[in-house]
Amino acid sequence: MPYLSQMLSRPVIDADGVEIGKINDLAIQTGEVFPRITAVAFKGPSKTPFMVSWRKYVSEYDGNRVVLNTASHNIRFSYLQPDELLLARDLLNKQIVDTQGLKVVRVNDLKISQSGKQLRLLGAEVGVLGILRSLVPWLERLVEAFCKLVGHPLKENIIAWNYMELVDRDLSSLKLSMTHKRLHELHPADVADILEQLKPQQRAKVFEHLDAQQAAETMSELDDEYQTDLIDDMSESEASELLASMDPDDAADIIGDLPYEKAEQLLWLMGVQDSRRIRALLGYREKSAGGIMTTDFVAVSEETSVADTIEKLRAESEGFEQVSYIYTVNSHGALTGALSMRSLVLASPETRVHELAERDLITAGPDEDQEDVADTIAKYGFLALPIVDENKKLLGIVTVDDALEVMEEEHSEDLQIAGAATGNRDEEQRGIGSLLRWFLRRMMWFVLWAVLVILLVMAGGFETFIGALALAPFVLLLAENSVSVAVSDLLDYGGPSTGQALGRLFGRTAVLAVAVAVLGIILSLALGAALDVNTEALLADVAAGQEQAASGQVLTLNLITEFKNACLPAVAAACFVLFFSLVVTLYGRRRLDRNKELSNTSMTFVVMLLALAVQFGLTYLVQILNMA
Amino acid sequence: MHWDEAKKQAKAKRRPLLLLILASAGPGIIAELAGNDAGGISTFSIAGANYGLTMLWTVPVALIFLMVVQEIAARLGAKTGKGFAALIRENYGIRLTTFAMLALAIANSGTTLSEFAGIAAGMELFGVNKYIAVPLAGLAVWALLMGGSYRRTQRIFLIISLVFLVYVVAAFVSRPNWGEVALHTIVPTALPNAGFISLVIAMIGTTVAPWMIFFGQSNVVEKGSTVKDLFFLRADVFIGAVVACLVVWFIMITTGTVLYERGIVVDDAAAAAQALEPTVGPAAEYLFGAGLVGASFLAACVLPLTTSYAICEAFGWERGADATWNEAPAYKGIITGIIVISCIIVLLPQIDLMYVMLTAQVVNGILLPILLIFLVLTANNRNVMGANRNGRLSNVLSCITIGAIIGLTLALFVFQILGY
Repeated sequence: MPYLSQMLSRPVIDADGVEIGKINDLAIQTGEVFPRITAVAFKGPSKTPFMVSWRKYVSEYDGNRVVLNTASHNIRFSYLQPDELLLARDLLNKQIVDTQGLKVVRVNDLKISQSGKQLRLLGAEVGVLGILRSLVPWLERLVEAFCKLVGHPLKENIIAWNYMELVDRDLSSLKLSMTHKRLHELHPADVADILEQLKPQQRAKVFEHLDAQQAAETMSELDDEYQTDLIDDMSESEASELLASMDPDDAADIIGDLPYEKAEQLLWLMGVQDSRRIRALLGYREKSAGGIMTTDFVAVSEETSVADTIEKLRAESEGFEQVSYIYTVNSHGALTGALSMRSLVLASPETRVHELAERDLITAGPDEDQEDVADTIAKYGFLALPIVDENKKLLGIVTVDDALEVMEEEHSEDLQIAGAATGNRDEEQRGIGSLLRWFLRRMMWFVLWAVLVILLVMAGGFETFIGALALAPFVLLLAENSVSVAVSDLLDYGGPSTGQALGRLFGRTAVLAVAVAVLGIILSLALGAALDVNTEALLADVAAGQEQAASGQVLTLNLITEFKNACLPAVAAACFVLFFSLVVTLYGRRRLDRNKELSNTSMTFVVMLLALAVQFGLTYLVQILNMA
Repeated sequence: MHWDEAKKQAKAKRRPLLLLILASAGPGIIAELAGNDAGGISTFSIAGANYGLTMLWTVPVALIFLMVVQEIAARLGAKTGKGFAALIRENYGIRLTTFAMLALAIANSGTTLSEFAGIAAGMELFGVNKYIAVPLAGLAVWALLMGGSYRRTQRIFLIISLVFLVYVVAAFVSRPNWGEVALHTIVPTALPNAGFISLVIAMIGTTVAPWMIFFGQSNVVEKGSTVKDLFFLRADVFIGAVVACLVVWFIMITTGTVLYERGIVVDDAAAAAQALEPTVGPAAEYLFGAGLVGASFLAACVLPLTTSYAICEAFGWERGADATWNEAPAYKGIITGIIVISCIIVLLPQIDLMYVMLTAQVVNGILLPILLIFLVLTANNRNVMGANRNGRLSNVLSCITIGAIIGLTLALFVFQILGY
């Protein structure tokens, strides 16, 4: 099976056996599943490239050279047709999107199949073997053989032509086969995943190729940061058109993230109706019911007949996210009831809708927390929940898929704070790496302590700090526990903090701190007493002339002194830890208020480091003071 | 952000041009400041200590070289939206790319190693044992590069860069003769001896390092800047070059004023710092020590990052600060590998560090001319650059620059082989 890397620079021989050049590139016909090689480009002795038709002039390719069927002076050169691509120029070494594996990869080589003299492109090789082959062929064989020997044979990683989308070149001008899977045929969520893998400029370029509807849906699937970036790259009219064609709640989310002037300009450029629908949603806080609701709902007056309602549905609701219920309103615009599609379809055409409507409705206000709204939807199994203001006027609805998104978001947020996996399935692989991470997270205090011991042994300060080292695990464990208490407090935390709750937290911490301090002082008093006893014993031994016993006494004495010196700093560090956990709570709340991420592991790590710094710093200070 | 709050803030958002320029500054400054690494500071200190102020004129020359090369890199990034490694791969094929990446990996690992050696030497001035300083620094570098977003890392880099201010302070503390300083900065002087000439060559020839081109361009790409932003990108590059060269200038002023006049000859940055102490006071030693540690740390972060990014880009592997280990094993693995290996080698007692660093320099010297030629050829390529091709002025400038750098690099080679 030939590869492009093997074909390049092979000689081209004419019918007289004269070498007229070396292969430079191959052209393919793009409209087929396995595109035919239509022409060969070669460089003659004068370094000018020529192209000749494969079908007309090539008589055979034997793996080493291309033999033409006519003498060089009879050849008529051809030109690249609009629906042809050059393999080396347009594909080799370039970035492509693998629309099957949903990844952005670089083409290392191209695999070609041969039947007779006919060559076809099988696909692009994107694996390591391709790199090695293009480098030096024997290296590929060597590595391949070695891997087979070890028991992990390397496989080729081929992407067929019909699963390729070029990043640098727009394929939309080319005629492609029916089965060619273009980017815009993928699900918008998949397109969004691919776009997020690209560099900003390429992202903008690929995004341009999507058609209007696909662009709008893909936009709503992208992460927030990419959304604003893409909007920034577009012209204002394009951007406003795109936003207008999106679901109003998604559009409002994006516009809410833009700078005010830009947002106003975009809203001004779109149709009155679209801009009014988006503006209606802009006033609500981000994580509230108003922030996630959509204004795409169908409401009719109570006296409308079923036939008219169905007529209205046909006329209005095309392009709505979903229509599960029809809402009835009275003459003041207040919500009075809701009926399902099913009851509407089953009823006779003349029936008035208020006869069918369920009147006892569960609703939510626009300022309610999004999590509560999602819970309500889940609890009652609704497909949508109406959002009303204080006059019962219908403002919008929260649909079940938005509710699902909220639950997922809040869930992963909680998990992340608690230090578990981030909810991303791909990451739950069991390997040494993840085991190690797990160990580091759970046994962080031990790892830190061990590192500290090793460092102090290496630096020769082990004996100076032996007391502090012995007490360090307590400080570290206290740090771990107080951070986890702070975190569990954060998990329950709902909205902006109130002064009262903070006061309670502060009181609790203060009580704990006093308790720790009292315990520590008692301990150091006890050690002091032991020191006195041992000093007396030492003096007694010296007086009695018992040298051996005396040296044992000196050792104990030193140890007790070390401990006594280390005791107060450890207590101080413990009190600091409590103070730090308070800071962690405050900091965590601020992050949560601003919708930022929090990591339990890193907070624990920081608090532990600070605690150790305080403990060892103070111990060192106490020792210097004692010496002076 | 709440919509109404946004409305209130809207008026405050009209920023003047100067502020916009300052706001866009960052990547260029980091790229060029990181060039003043452990090896650089040693060279500058030696130049000042051994030849006084007579070498100050090399600073403006280096400034021009730096500006020209980094401007082209930024322009390539803005026009193509691709890093330098991707451009090499797409325009010159896999063999040259592999060669360039291999050379880059070797040279940068060697340089990273010298940065950790610099950290060790600097921390020893503060009385910290190298067996503590190096592992801790390695851990800090690793944690910084592994965790978190691109933006945060860059902010931390900028904060670390503030450490270079100590050289400004040190220069003023040493009370130089400013008139003489100005004179020597403008008027070139040459002394007819091999030591002087080889030092001049080293000063100018090492201004541009291969990794700087990759780092500068990938920063532009990651930021998503386009040709529209070219004005601000250039401003960033030029400000960065000026800042970086000012630092060099101040280092040479300090050592040139204090050490040269007392006839103290030093052979590295740490020795220079220690020599400053008796004459200027302990402040100077600590300032120089802190500068050395900070500069080495910054470069120790930037080098593994750039190397891994370039290699992964060239071979089409997933990369980026935000990717996880499972998504981008090669990217994270290369960074980790470089850091671990250089930390271990620095701490091995039998290794001849000078030899390792010399090897890195030689590889850099081979790689640099090739990369510079790629750079100019690509910047002139109509297919790649379109309307943003090199103009006549920038072609003349870049040809002179590149010719000079290549010549100097070759000369440096010859000098090294001859043993000066």
